[in-house]
Amino acid sequence: MNAAQMQSARKMKRTQTILFLIVLLALVIWSSIGAEFSLPALFAGVGESFRFIFLDFLPPDFSSLPKLLEPAMQTIYMSVVAMVIGSIVAGLLSFLAAATTSPHPYLQVFVRAATSLFRNIPVVIWTILLVAAFGLGTIVGTMSLILISIGMLTRSFAEVLEEIDMGQVEAVRAAGGSYFQVLSQAVIPQFMPGFIGWSLYNFEINVRASTIVGMVGGGGLGFILQSNLKLFQYQKASMAVLLVLVIVLVVETITNRVRERII
Amino acid sequence: MRAQWNEPKPSLTVLTSMAEPKKPKKNRLLVVGMPLVALLFVFSLIQLQFDYSRIAAGFMKLMGIVQVMFPPDFTAWRHVLLAAMESLQVAILGTVLGILIAFFLSFLAASNLTPHPFIAWIIQSAASLLRAIPTVVWALIFIVSVGLGSLPGVLAITVSAAGMLIKVFAQSLEEVDKGVLEAMQATGASWLAIVMQGILPTVKTAFIAWCVLRFEGDLGESTILGAVGAGGIGYELTHAMKSYNFAGALFVGLVIFIMVFSVELVANRYKMNLKVRKH
Repeated sequence: MNAAQMQSARKMKRTQTILFLIVLLALVIWSSIGAEFSLPALFAGVGESFRFIFLDFLPPDFSSLPKLLEPAMQTIYMSVVAMVIGSIVAGLLSFLAAATTSPHPYLQVFVRAATSLFRNIPVVIWTILLVAAFGLGTIVGTMSLILISIGMLTRSFAEVLEEIDMGQVEAVRAAGGSYFQVLSQAVIPQFMPGFIGWSLYNFEINVRASTIVGMVGGGGLGFILQSNLKLFQYQKASMAVLLVLVIVLVVETITNRVRERII
Repeated sequence: MRAQWNEPKPSLTVLTSMAEPKKPKKNRLLVVGMPLVALLFVFSLIQLQFDYSRIAAGFMKLMGIVQVMFPPDFTAWRHVLLAAMESLQVAILGTVLGILIAFFLSFLAASNLTPHPFIAWIIQSAASLLRAIPTVVWALIFIVSVGLGSLPGVLAITVSAAGMLIKVFAQSLEEVDKGVLEAMQATGASWLAIVMQGILPTVKTAFIAWCVLRFEGDLGESTILGAVGAGGIGYELTHAMKSYNFAGALFVGLVIFIMVFSVELVANRYKMNLKVRKH
């Protein structure tokens, strides 16, 4: 590449960058107008939020802690149940959804489409729908967490399965192994670290998601949090937020530790 | 994530004889962990005290609802699409603001660029605090403090996007080759010159990939923020469901699905492009 070519290439790259920034800026302006958003409103809002958080919201009311423990445990129970059921179902489905292990391409497309529905419809919508049918309570929360777990894990597991070393698979097959022998001897040993890693990650996601699931009627801490806010009991609400924070951080630390030791 | 847990450690292979290959060692944690998880699962199920008789009745009712849902009711399309647009706008504003904040703070939070380790520690811990509180909880707090509308949604997304992006931006910055920095420092370049010429070009691809990924997540978040009262399409959905307008709710659900799914498709394609360019 000579100097002139290089210069023109650089020039083109620069025009591309500038064009990209202009488009982005236009999008931001369009959004600001549409959402009636402005910088003064933003700063005023930030100020008000700080005032609210430090004057009304804090300090947390520790006397409400005993009452919050049960919903907090419910949050964890729901996440555990959803993780276990979700990872088992997704583990089975992912073998149908991965190009490397799927018995038939049509089946693969079908499973992928179905699980993408679970994944791309937000958990709140599932909860709202299930609440209409099953009524309020942890049963609904658990069911919607299971749905999103299946959606997320099937995709991740299938990606793990598609990245496995096919040499081992071929070796077992060449030795005369049946489909199930190939799975158990060549595929599953390679699949396990990914399976565990993603399941743990899913547990974290479930713990977070269970808050919003609770807000629309799925039980757990989210429900308490929202009702406290509606009753203007801000310091009790901040205790609930603190508890959410502690649970999320503890779960994150534990899962990170386990992941480091396994993978 | 590669299968490494059943391979012997390198130091062991030196010590043991090479005559016969080592049997894959079972991971102790796995042997203990699996039954533990199973036990925890059973315990959780017992503690949750599900009323299993409700499940059968609920499924019948669910079938009824699904039947009423079809065909979807498009009559409110203008209203729903406007709300969808608002959700999109909230996601754009929140993500862009979050990116801006995270961009500047990440330089102070990266251990190799920070003026003082203490500043880095403070910013990192603040970011993990912002990250650990779910976006909806932020939305609830902001709704109480600034009132209903799109502003609490924008603020909630900004806060959680910044919390995550500070961490990942700082990680990318810490991966910058030390040699590059030292070479530039040796030429007497100013701090700004080092950042503009040495650091930004190396981290640009990673930053953009993270921003795209974050926007994908934020759009999903902003579609549901309405469910707790922050405006946007989520509100339309809860409204339709609460007034038993199931056919209308299905239409809103379809719009949300299309929004989230199309962004996932675009983001996937973009991520692939990034990968191709890297190699």
